[in-house]
Amino acid sequence: MRVLVIEDDLEHADFIQRVLGDAGHQVETVADGQGGLSKARAIEYDALVVDRMLPEKPGLVMMKEFRNGGGKTPALFLSALSDVDNRVEGLRAGADDYLAKPFAPEELIARVEALGRRQPQDEAPVTKLTVGDLEMDLLSRRVERNGQRIDLQPREFKLLEFLMRHAGQTVTRTMLLEKVWNYHFDPQTNVIDVHISRLRAKIDKEFDRQLLQTVRGAGYCLQA
Amino acid sequence: MRSGRFAFVRTTTFRLALVYAVLFALFSAGLISYLFQATVVSIRAEAKSQLEAELRTLAIARQTGGAVRLEQSLIERALVRVRDFTYQFETATGERIVGDMPGMPVEAPDEVGEVRVVHFELEMPQVDGSPIITPIEGRIVRMEDGTVLLVGIEMDQRLRIVGQITRAVATAAPIGILLALLGGFFSARYAARRAETLTTITDAVMSGDLTQRVPVVGSGDEFDRLAEQLNAMLARIENLISATRHAGDAIAHDLRSPLSRLRNRIEGALIGPIDEVTARETLGITVEEIDHILLTFDGILRLSRLSAGAEGKLARLNLSDLASEISELFEPACEDAGLLFSEAIADRVHVMGDKTLLAQALSNVLDNAVKYSPPGGQIVLKLKAQSGRASLSVADTGPGIPVEDRTRVIERFVRLDDARTKQGSGLGLSLVDAVADLHSGTLSLQSGDGDSENPGLKVIMSLPAMD
Repeated sequence: MRVLVIEDDLEHADFIQRVLGDAGHQVETVADGQGGLSKARAIEYDALVVDRMLPEKPGLVMMKEFRNGGGKTPALFLSALSDVDNRVEGLRAGADDYLAKPFAPEELIARVEALGRRQPQDEAPVTKLTVGDLEMDLLSRRVERNGQRIDLQPREFKLLEFLMRHAGQTVTRTMLLEKVWNYHFDPQTNVIDVHISRLRAKIDKEFDRQLLQTVRGAGYCLQA
Repeated sequence: MRSGRFAFVRTTTFRLALVYAVLFALFSAGLISYLFQATVVSIRAEAKSQLEAELRTLAIARQTGGAVRLEQSLIERALVRVRDFTYQFETATGERIVGDMPGMPVEAPDEVGEVRVVHFELEMPQVDGSPIITPIEGRIVRMEDGTVLLVGIEMDQRLRIVGQITRAVATAAPIGILLALLGGFFSARYAARRAETLTTITDAVMSGDLTQRVPVVGSGDEFDRLAEQLNAMLARIENLISATRHAGDAIAHDLRSPLSRLRNRIEGALIGPIDEVTARETLGITVEEIDHILLTFDGILRLSRLSAGAEGKLARLNLSDLASEISELFEPACEDAGLLFSEAIADRVHVMGDKTLLAQALSNVLDNAVKYSPPGGQIVLKLKAQSGRASLSVADTGPGIPVEDRTRVIERFVRLDDARTKQGSGLGLSLVDAVADLHSGTLSLQSGDGDSENPGLKVIMSLPAMD
C-alpha cells in the first residue's frame, strides 16, 4: 500500500515510517498540513495517516478541506487526545478511523491495512462472505463450514462477519471492541480473547485447518 | 469596612434604614393630614347636615300639628336623648316651654322664619355627673306665632376622638423614626461585623491558609447561608488541592520507581559487551515498562480531566442496555476464570450519562471482580431502579476489602498490599468514583456474597435515574 503520513514530529514520523515500511508498505511523510493537503490531492495514495496537531493547517481543517475537495482516500487520525468527543470530531471531519497516541505498532499496521480495504466499492452489496470452506450468508444469517451448519449467537455472528470482511488482515482487540461491540474503552482484561476462543471452538475445532489465527502481540487474523 | 468606628454608616443596611426613616416620616405626616381632612372636615359637615335635617323635621312637625305637636316631639326627644342634640323652645315672651337650658343662651332673630347660625357654650353633665363646658353649634329660628326654637349639636365629643388619634400619630411618628434609625444602626453594625469576618477569612484564605472556615452563628439568615456556601466551597477547594498534592506525590512515586528501574536496567545493559540476544530482551522489557508508564499517565490524565469536569458528555442513556452489553462482554471471561456469572438487570432504566465512561467504569469493576475472585466463586451484576435512583452493583466472592480500607481504596494509586502482586495501576476505582461523581452519583463499597473466609466485595454505583 502507498501511505502518506502527515506528522510534524519528525521522530514520530520516522517511527511510523519504519513500522509501516517493515510491514511492507511504501510510506511518504510530510511535516505540515498544507503540504500534506497538496500531496494527498496530487497523488492517489491508498491511505492517509494524519496527526491532529499540525503546523500551518490543523489536521481537522486539512481533513475537511480534503474531503470537500472531493478527496476519497481513506484516512486515519492520530492524536494524543483520546476522548470520545475528539474521536467523534475527527470522524465528522471526514477521517475513517481514529487512533490515540501512544499506540502499539501492530495496532497502527492493522488499522492502516483495514483502511486500504475500505476503498469505495461500486459493486452490489455483498450478501455472501467466503473464507476458504467457511461460508456466511448475510441474508439468511446461516454459517456453514464444509457444508456443515454452525450455530452462532448474534454477537458471535457479528464478530465472525467482521473477521470475514477483513479476511487475511490482522485485526486488533481494540478494533474488535470498537467495531463489533461499538464501545470505545480499554477493557484491560482479556475479555475479547475469550470471545474469540469461543468462536474458534465453533468454527475450527472439528477441522484440521485452523482459519482463525492469533497474531502474537497484535490480534487475530482469519485466513484460508 | 477596614477603618473608622462609624464605617457602618456607609453600609447598605444603614442607608436603607435612613431611607426607610425618611419614608416613614413622610408617611406619618401624610397620615396626620389625611386623618384631619377626612375626619374633622367630614364630621363637621355631617354634624351640620344632621342639625339642619333635625330642624326641618321639627319644622314639619310644627306645621302639621302646631306648637302642641312640636312640644310633644321635643319632650319625646328629650326623654330618649338620641344623638347629641340639645333643644330649647320658648314662647315669644321668653318663657321656656321645653328645654335643657334655663334661658336662650343667645338672642333670637326678630324676623319670622330666619334661621340664624349660633355658637355658644353649655354646661352639660357628664356620665359621672360632673358638669363640663361644651361648645355647641346651633340654629335658632322664630316661628310665625312668635315662639323661638333652638336646636344645637355638640361637636366636642366627636372632635375629641379625632384629636386623640392625631395626637397619637404625631407622638408615635418620631418614636417610629427613631426606632427605624436605631434598627438601621444596629443591623448595619451587625452586617458590617459579619462582613468584616468574611473579609478576614477570605484574606487568610488568599494568603494560603485553606483550613480557615467562616463561623456559622446559627441564626439561619442569609449570612449563615453565605457562610455555609463559602465553607462548602472552601472545603471543595481544599479537597481538590490536597487531591492534586496527593496525586503529585503518587505520580512521583508510581512513575519515579518504574522510571528508575528502567534507567538501571539500561545502564546495567550498557556495562560490558552487548550481545544481540540480551539487548533485544532488555529492549523488549523496556518497551513493556514504558507502555505501563504511559498507561498510568493516561489514567492520571483522564482522572484529572474527569475531576475537572472536562470530559464526558451527558445524554439520555439506556443503562439497562449498557449493563446487558457489558455483561455479555464479560460473561465468557468470568466463566473462563471458573466463576459463575449471573445478572439481574431491570428493564428500561435511564440515566443522564456518558456511555463510554459508564462502560469503562463498569468494566473496571467487573475486571476487579474477575481478577480477585478465586475459581469456583460467583459474580452477580444487578441493576435496579428505586425511588429515583438507578443502582448498579457488582458483587463478588473474592477476599473483599476490610471496612477500614474501603474509603482509602477509592483514592488514587492506593493499592492494598494483597493487590500489589496483581497487575494494575491503582487508578481503577478512582476512575469509577470520578465517573460516579460526574454523573452526580455515589460509589459505595460493601461486603459481598462470600463466606467468612472470602467475604467478597459489593461495589454499588448509584446514579440519579430518569423517567
